[in-house]
Amino acid sequence: MSAQPPKTIQYVYHFRYNDGREKKFTVELDEQTLAVIRPDQADQPELPEWTRLKFSQCENCPLSDEVSHCPVAVNLARVVNAFRADVSYETSDITVETPQRTYVKNTTLQKGLSSIIGVYMVTSDCPILDKLRPMSRFHLPFATPVETFFRSISSYLTAQFLLMRQQKEPDWSLKKLIEIYKAINIVNRGMSQRLVKASQKDANVNALVILHSFGDGIGYFIESGLDEIEPMFAVYLNESNGEIRPSPSGLDAGEKPHAPAEDGRPESAST
Amino acid sequence: MNEKILVVDDEESLRLSMKFKLKAAGFDVDVAEDGEVALEKLKNESYDVVLLDINMPRMSGIEALGLIRQRHPQTEAIMLTGFADFSTAIECLKTGARDYLVKPIDTTELVTRLRSLLRSRSSEKALHEVQQHYTAVFLHDMLEPLKKVQQVLDQAAGSTDTKERNKLLSDARTATGTMTRKIQDLLDASKASQENPEELAARIRTIRGNGV
Repeated sequence: MSAQPPKTIQYVYHFRYNDGREKKFTVELDEQTLAVIRPDQADQPELPEWTRLKFSQCENCPLSDEVSHCPVAVNLARVVNAFRADVSYETSDITVETPQRTYVKNTTLQKGLSSIIGVYMVTSDCPILDKLRPMSRFHLPFATPVETFFRSISSYLTAQFLLMRQQKEPDWSLKKLIEIYKAINIVNRGMSQRLVKASQKDANVNALVILHSFGDGIGYFIESGLDEIEPMFAVYLNESNGEIRPSPSGLDAGEKPHAPAEDGRPESAST
Repeated sequence: MNEKILVVDDEESLRLSMKFKLKAAGFDVDVAEDGEVALEKLKNESYDVVLLDINMPRMSGIEALGLIRQRHPQTEAIMLTGFADFSTAIECLKTGARDYLVKPIDTTELVTRLRSLLRSRSSEKALHEVQQHYTAVFLHDMLEPLKKVQQVLDQAAGSTDTKERNKLLSDARTATGTMTRKIQDLLDASKASQENPEELAARIRTIRGNGV
């Protein structure tokens, strides 16, 4: 009896340019492992030079010399090639179909590309990026920086809870999360060298720069940005001895409510 | 007071991460999503440095740079790009940018470059002030002895006594010799203290103190 094919999750990205051109990509992940399912070797076009492991290899790459190609670069090759001549700020209608819902946004190519490149990177089997792989199950296309920080911290804290349940040492301080992102940003830097080589214009590289900015900002978000979302958690923070005592407006007594800023964050927010 | 930085980038996540990083490094930070918004902000607010993305919609970073340098020459600019190429870098520097950085940008490098730029900018400003001040003072210092030399030469021209005329000409030559040495000292001091306004001011004071 032949083995059952794995259950998969599909994210379908559809780019519709203003001049009528269209590009479509399907990211297919193994539902259990969340590893990307690559087409059969026979269906793969010849891999470009910039995908070789030794081409601008990341400083912190733990892969052995026996590995011929960088798994992240291999995952990205098709998308990067398709957008190699595009300008980062060009807008298009981008639709992302996930099993649960469909997202539609008229936005810049760099923004749409950063979403799909992000999924491809963390599901590539790169030992450094693997730490973000659980987030790919809860993929949020076109996420704002604060949404990404929140998702990232939530995913990390879930992992810590699971560690605790296994009687292992959890890191509630998020210190190791900052270390994880430092390592990830070394990968992003190495990958940007590859994408420069693979591109004629800046859409691909700037998409990666957006991902790098998340990694760059998370430490600062943990240090100071969390203070700004703390009032949203008043219902937990006011709890004492199991009794929840939220203030009437959800704010502390005497605190003035913040007028919402353009992006919905409190106006006083430094973010 | 903290130095004020304006970050201009069409991508929100980059504006936000720069803002985080630069605030943590002790700068006051404001953001703009394109060149037009940046120019509007510069009308109402003074910034020490603008960090300007090159590839932006509507108005390119280089176009915005030209207008910023023209309208706000006291504001320095550092250009940012995800896609580096040599000719663009040269164009940026020719248009008045002080530096050119390739994204993704290393935080430590960015902060180091900003601090170095601000330090050299403040030295240049102080040097300019010293030079302006002492140029005026020095010209005044030179004017009086020149008038005296002129008087002596007029006297010599009108004198029929050869001995007296030779004495007057000798005095005039001594005075112009002293003035020439002072001007030479000033030029040497200016060259030697090009980046140190305090040293330049001290050397000029010494030269002046010697009397003409």
